[in-house]
Amino acid sequence: MTTAPSQTEPQAQGDILFDIRGVGRYFGSGDIQVKALDDINLTIARGEFTAIVGPSGSGKSTLLQLMGGLDAPSVGDVHLNNKSIAHMSGRELSDFRRDHIGFIFQAYNLIPVLSAQENIEYIMLLQGVPAAQRRQRVQAMLNTVGLEGYADRRPAQLSGGQQQRVAVARAMVSRPSIILADEPTANLDSVTGSALLDMMKGLNESRSMTFVFSTHDPKIMERASRLIHLQDGRVVEDERRG
Amino acid sequence: MPKMLMLTLALRNVFRNSRRTLLTVGLIACGLAALMFTDAMVRGMSQSMVRIATGTLLGQAQIHRAGFRRNNDVDLYITHSDHLLQLLHDDPAVAVAAPRVITGAMLASSENVAAAMVYGVDGAAEAQLGKLQQAMVAGDYLHAGNGSAEGQRQLLVGTGLARLLEVELGDRVVITVSQIQGGDLSQELFRVSGMFHFNDRMLDQNLAFITLPRGQRLLGMDTGVHEIALRLPAPPAFDWQRYNGDWRGQVLQTLSWEKLIPQLSGVLEMSNVSTLIVAGILFMLVALGLINSMFMSIYERQYEFGVLLALGTRPVQLFWQILYEGFFIGVLSALSGLVLGGLLTWWKAATGIDYGNLEMSGVTLQEPIFPMLHWAQFTWMPLSIVLMTLVASLYPAWHAARLQPTRAMRKTL
Repeated sequence: MTTAPSQTEPQAQGDILFDIRGVGRYFGSGDIQVKALDDINLTIARGEFTAIVGPSGSGKSTLLQLMGGLDAPSVGDVHLNNKSIAHMSGRELSDFRRDHIGFIFQAYNLIPVLSAQENIEYIMLLQGVPAAQRRQRVQAMLNTVGLEGYADRRPAQLSGGQQQRVAVARAMVSRPSIILADEPTANLDSVTGSALLDMMKGLNESRSMTFVFSTHDPKIMERASRLIHLQDGRVVEDERRG
Repeated sequence: MPKMLMLTLALRNVFRNSRRTLLTVGLIACGLAALMFTDAMVRGMSQSMVRIATGTLLGQAQIHRAGFRRNNDVDLYITHSDHLLQLLHDDPAVAVAAPRVITGAMLASSENVAAAMVYGVDGAAEAQLGKLQQAMVAGDYLHAGNGSAEGQRQLLVGTGLARLLEVELGDRVVITVSQIQGGDLSQELFRVSGMFHFNDRMLDQNLAFITLPRGQRLLGMDTGVHEIALRLPAPPAFDWQRYNGDWRGQVLQTLSWEKLIPQLSGVLEMSNVSTLIVAGILFMLVALGLINSMFMSIYERQYEFGVLLALGTRPVQLFWQILYEGFFIGVLSALSGLVLGGLLTWWKAATGIDYGNLEMSGVTLQEPIFPMLHWAQFTWMPLSIVLMTLVASLYPAWHAARLQPTRAMRKTL
């Protein structure tokens, strides 16, 4: 199903996770103002496996940054679970990211001085999750991403695919509301990338975890249940599949 | 829990670039070692200078008639000195009391004439107070003489003065002085019975010693003295007011060595200020080095900080992480500096540093300087270093805490 640009139709109101209303992100001012995003209206429902696609410079990453509370919109508002995040203080935003958002980065971005287990544990440590619970969840997550026996290895001792699996585990272990993934397969070979995507798709289906990708990768687009096409900072197509 | 996490991250980050950490720690440790050694040297030098200055002739304190020291007026002598000496002998805070008469005099040998200060002293007391007896290089030290003509004519001259007068042991020297009360000239014949060498040009060229009774007779006084030099085993225990002010119809003045040679106490005070200035400069250099190193480390990890912030790390937690890194570097540096500075100071404290008779503020350093170990070098100095590293880390920590995740992560997301 394809809807008109910027007029996405929410699913049942109770399922809406993200509500992006009239959001614009402008850089510079006056004649040299650049509109990285303009008049974005979107809703993301719980359990979606969404890919934001578009050419370089179309605003994919900027949109993910706004959704993740890493940046604030110039106009409009972003709501997560009906709560505005656009005007949160620095500390509130930190806590919001810690408790609600799981990030998966293109370059894995594991903390090099921490082992795989400690990297996965990191957010739970910030959250103050008790040690026994942490250990149990880390172990379960390592099993889920197929990295049993790699708990004590530092990122430098893991392959790219293994590092990205740790990154996925880190993003998921704290049970965030949504996982934002920026080109997660860009640095992986196609076999490893496919395996990782299958794993994430499996988690999406089995645990109803919400994923939003920013990507050029056809493998992600193939698996996505929704494709949001961006061009020049605007939603030009919002395509829902089966 | 996040505090432990930040501590773990900080500790591991410190050893992440071990070469840079080693260089930074080395820089700070050398600064601390230099500071410890400088302090030990200043303490050792101060103690040596005081010991040399007070132990040669001066004593740790002196009692005079008020006004005597202004221009060595021979008329201002202490009367009833026997009674005063008895009081001093009975004073447990006084180890030695050496009475002296002092006058400017003209010394004439068969070859030459020279002006000098002549001291009439009690040989036994003087031997306990200063180094006159130890400084003897020829002839005999002063002895009581039992009233013999030879005993009464004893004269000790410094090697420099002997050279000026061109005299040898046994040569005759006529001493001419102005007597008290009227200033009549008085002349007496002495024979050079001994020569001393304090290794101090001023003393060796300008002093001559005769016995106290002969000095008193030469000046025309009975039992008076101009000066009583004191050796005090524990100066703080000495009652400085007891021998000050009116005493038997005269005004006495008791002065500590600090007041007797203010130039030396001034130099020592300046040395302390110098140590503080050196400490300040060292601290500043070390702080700048540390800030530079911390910033290099922060700029290298800027992207990583962006990631940490994106994951939900609060800016204040990042701030603490950098502070902990500074703290660990400070502790490592302090420990290394303690070992380095402690060993260096301990070694030189055992072997000493010979300055080869260097003269400073009128004091000739006749003996090696032994740097002095002191508790302050092992307590507040390393603690100051740790504190300084913490203070120097504040700015890099503040900088890191103010990073915007999106700016820190210049790449996508």
